[in-house]
Amino acid sequence: MLGLDDCLIEVMAIPGALDAMLLDQTSGMAVAVSGSPQGVDAERSAAALTETLRATVDGLARSCPGDTVRIDDMLVTTDQGHHLLRLMETAFEGPLVIYVRLDLERSNLALARYRLRAISSSLLT
Amino acid sequence: MAPLDTLLTGLARERSTGALRVGRAGTVFLDEGRVTYMECVQTPGVERLLTARGRATEATLRRVQADGGCERLLDEGVLTLGELQYCVLGAVLDAAFFLLPVGGSRPKFRPGERHWLGGRWYFEVSGLLRECARRRAQLAQIWPSAEVDTAPVRPAPWLAGQGVTLGKVEWEVVARADHEATPLDLARQLGRSGYSILLAVRRLAAAGLLAPHEEPEPAEEPTLPRRTRQAVKASAAGGTAGPLFGPAVTADPTDLALLLRLKKALEELA
Repeated sequence: MLGLDDCLIEVMAIPGALDAMLLDQTSGMAVAVSGSPQGVDAERSAAALTETLRATVDGLARSCPGDTVRIDDMLVTTDQGHHLLRLMETAFEGPLVIYVRLDLERSNLALARYRLRAISSSLLT
Repeated sequence: MAPLDTLLTGLARERSTGALRVGRAGTVFLDEGRVTYMECVQTPGVERLLTARGRATEATLRRVQADGGCERLLDEGVLTLGELQYCVLGAVLDAAFFLLPVGGSRPKFRPGERHWLGGRWYFEVSGLLRECARRRAQLAQIWPSAEVDTAPVRPAPWLAGQGVTLGKVEWEVVARADHEATPLDLARQLGRSGYSILLAVRRLAAAGLLAPHEEPEPAEEPTLPRRTRQAVKASAAGGTAGPLFGPAVTADPTDLALLLRLKKALEELA
């Protein structure tokens, strides 16, 4: 069985992973952190990422009226790399979010998404 | 009396093991100076969360508490290690948020006492304090007035605009609000953390979705005060009456709410 910290070790084993974090979407808290880049405060970045997610949910709720928005994962590609967020519904508060930053050249997005899905299901079932 | 956080910092420095009972408000369990568990009567604990979510019955919990603890609960297969860890983390931080500001009751430390969940996960005292401060700041950033945290939640009967987007917890709050339950009552009823409900309520307040706070109406007719010659003279003579010029100073809650929303809007513009 995976604990929350072991789960991040698995995430960091994804090819091209640069750093990873587990966030609590409700409170905006960093639950577990692995290798923040230089000059990044994990707590601030966790809070900022949850705000990004909130804004995305709000935006989608406006753009697809009639639907209840359920995000499974979210991908943002910048000129520096890929940012992948995977949301996990839990029995408790949540959702719990896995965030991973991937190298633009060395990563394989399809593989990364597949591995994140596997990790999140082994964490919660 | 020392506030609770300095007391805890002291216990952490001495690497104490035991339970710190804070009157009737709650208990902090420490192991070698690190917090293993924290409970607060105002917020749902792990037991309440597990039963509210249908993960364990009270009978199961009693059995596990009597013998086996955390390991046995996981062996029963009702929830995974990750889920339990997440549940404990949420419960401890929520209890910390509401328990740490309490300082009035005399805390009593009992060395050696442990919580049934055992020392599986540890929280540094300094980390807990930092996270609580961050949560307080986040609440203030969403909506600066703490009044809505303790008042009954009363959603406004109509919208000021055409549409609104609600998040998951906000929806639950609106659906459950009966105009009498306070945010912490709602947290207990919904089996959610107190902090998540406070966040939702402040977001509702910031969006203008809560009915303005009701004050008992004063007995006299609340017409504009007539400025008489005597009144002017009295204040001119150095009395403590309101200012002569500028708008009348009132403590009308609708004015305050309006000002707070104006302040918030201006901050967003800046």
